[in-house]
This record gives sequence, structure tokens and C-alpha cells, in this order.
Amino acid sequence: MIPQNFEYSAPSTLQDALALLADGSAKVLAGGMSLIPLMKLRLAAPEHVVDMGRVPGLDGIHQASDGIHIGAMATHYQIESSPVLRAHCPLLAETASHIGDVQVRNMGTIGGSVAHCDPAADYPAALFALEAQVRLASASGERTLSFAGFLVDTFTTALEPGEIVTEVIVPAESSGAGVSYQKLHQPASGFAMVGAAVRIARANGGIGFVRVGITGLASKAYRATNVETILQSTGNVEKAAAVVADGIEANSDLNASAHYRSQMARVYTARALKIALARAS
Amino acid sequence: MKLSGNYTVPIGRELAYHLMQDPAVLARAMPGCNHLALVAPDEYEMRMKMVISSIQGLFAGKVRIADRNPPASFRLIVEGSGKVGFMKGDGLLTFATLYTSTDIHYEGEVQVGGMIAGVGQRLLDTTSRYLIKKFFEKLTAEATAQMPQAAD
Repeated sequence: MIPQNFEYSAPSTLQDALALLADGSAKVLAGGMSLIPLMKLRLAAPEHVVDMGRVPGLDGIHQASDGIHIGAMATHYQIESSPVLRAHCPLLAETASHIGDVQVRNMGTIGGSVAHCDPAADYPAALFALEAQVRLASASGERTLSFAGFLVDTFTTALEPGEIVTEVIVPAESSGAGVSYQKLHQPASGFAMVGAAVRIARANGGIGFVRVGITGLASKAYRATNVETILQSTGNVEKAAAVVADGIEANSDLNASAHYRSQMARVYTARALKIALARAS
Repeated sequence: MKLSGNYTVPIGRELAYHLMQDPAVLARAMPGCNHLALVAPDEYEMRMKMVISSIQGLFAGKVRIADRNPPASFRLIVEGSGKVGFMKGDGLLTFATLYTSTDIHYEGEVQVGGMIAGVGQRLLDTTSRYLIKKFFEKLTAEATAQMPQAAD
């Protein structure tokens, strides 16, 4: 279908973009992998679209003392193939490689994905496991939020009108850590019916550190601290994975019932834990 | 699609029941509602603008209250339609005292059709539950604001 008429701006600096967005009425276009289909279906009908595609410097990936900074306009393909991320944050690179299909990965961006906040998106699982941070900017300034503070609920983030995501900051992985992202993907859309992201580091013959992020199961992604605690104290993968859906109100839709989703969350969490453990040295 | 769940509001049963029949309170608590007017006994006309992420829709419809059994239960029937689709919901709300709070249980069936159902089926469950949660959160805020000043 053809979208409704809208005004289109393609600013060439971040300042211009933020000025155009300042009154909160315009919609930000990043990779367009969610917004454009919604506009074509006329489920979204923004009056003004601000395309970030010509703003330079928003797609860089570089390592700094406080972690790896990923520009909001970095595509999923850039993230999956980045030498810096593959070496120092393999979980995010692995997660990006599972998103959608090749076309989506070539166009879609991490900033667009986290701002859209689809409950079945892949990144949130990894970003919870990584305890990532999100940098936001608006005409009136900048702020940094933890990913847990940024993600409010289904399709809802802490972004204020006129505010955009400029960077996602992830920690550099310690050497010897094992990571894995395992997902049950919807065959047509590639969305995660459930996805489990795990980071594990061994210490003194046991588990020194473990982080588990889950997406697709509930209305929003979350960090499964109960799984982490059980794995750390018992070392038993099955016991730990068994509690992943405890206390969670699982989604139910035409792809999977809540019961099936919860069961798959346990299965895929166990898989991700096993693989990450095997990779950890 | 069947929907059920419960929510605990920190107010007594009579007040909770009464608040949920007050059109002014309902209008403020329903996400995106910008018009709610009584058109017949127990029947309201409503307009709402829903904005969920990039998706936005204007809906116009009716809200009806039936099978009143104060302060234990009533039936809420909501119908709305807009460019992006239509929705019809019919639910029974029951109020149970839980110490000084009230446990509101809802159980009902929602039908969604049109474009929004065709492409958004995957998202209907999460978004409906999110909207219901927001409704009860706002209702709680309303209740707290209307609570007799005192009693701590």
C-alpha cells in the first residue's frame, strides 16, 4: 500500500536533526525496517519523518575505557561483522546475526530496534545479559540510561518526545568468558518466539559470573536473575533453566501459547547455558 | 482472544466498584480516551486515540455497563472502530475484598478485526495486557487521589 502523505526531512547534522525533532511531533526514521511497513499499512501515519540516514558519525563502533560504543545507526550486519565486537563482545555480534533476514540486517539498525522496542526483538536479551547502557540526546541535552531503565514495557521506552538514541554501550567481555544466544525463531518473520542470551565466566572450578537475558517470552525482555543465582550456587544447568519462566506472564499468540512459550524458554535457556559453558575456558 | 487476569487496588471494595462506574474516572483511566459521554442509561459514547510505538489509531465507539451487582461484579462491554480496524470486548469484572485492598478480577473475550488484527496478531496479547495494566495503574492513582484525607 501507499503511505499517507508526510513531510520528509533528511538533516545532515545531528544538531539539525535534534532541532527538527524538538517539538516532539516528528517521527525518527532509522533503518525503516519496522516504521516503513507500518506506514505502508497505514497503521502509522506520521505527519513528519526525520531520516537519520544522512547524519554522519552515528554508525561507528569503537572501544573506549568504559566499554564498546555502538552508534545508533550501526546496522545489524555491521554489528554481526564488526571485528571489535566479534573479539570483545561476541554475544552482541552473535545476536545480531540471528535477526530477521539478510535484507533486514543490511538496513535495520540497533538504535531503531531498541527505540521501537518490539517485545520479540533479539537485541534486548543480549543487552540485558550485557547490562548495556543507552545514550540519548535531544535538543536540550544528553543522558545515559541503563538498558533496564530504558526499556519500560512493550513498545514503550524511556525516550521523551524529541529525544533519540545515539549510542548503545556494552562492556568488553573478559577473556575466557563463554557466551551464547539461542532462539526459537518464527519461520516467516524471524522474530524470536523466545530468545535466551547468556554470558558465563568460570572461576576456581565453578561459575564465577553468569548473566541471562530473555526476550520474546513476556511483554518485555528481562534479566533472569533467578536462573543466574541457581546456576551460580548449584552449577546445574537444568535446575537453573527450569525457573526461567517462574513468575512471568508469558505471551500467547497465534505462533505459540503461553504454556508452550514458557516450556521453550526453559529449553532454549538450557541450550544457551550449555553452549556458553562449553565455550567458557 | 480470551483475556483474564487480576489487579489489586489499594482501596476498599465499595470505592473500587464506585470508581469504575464513574465516567469521569473511566475517561481519565482509559489509555488514550479523550471523550466519554453518557448517551443512555449505562451507555457511553467514547473516542480514543491509541498510540503504541509507531502505531496510532483513532477509535470511536461505545462503552456499556450491564448486569450490575454492586459491589461484587458488573459486566463491561466495549465496542470501537477506526481506520485501522475494530474491536469488541465483553468482560466480567468481579471485586473481592483482600484485607484493606480490593482484588479486581477480569475475564472476558476480545475480538479484534481489520488491518490491525491482520498484521498485528502477534502483538495483540501483549498490547492488550499492557493497556489493561495501564488502566488499572491510572485507576489506582485516581483512587489514591480521592481517598479520604486521613487514615494512616
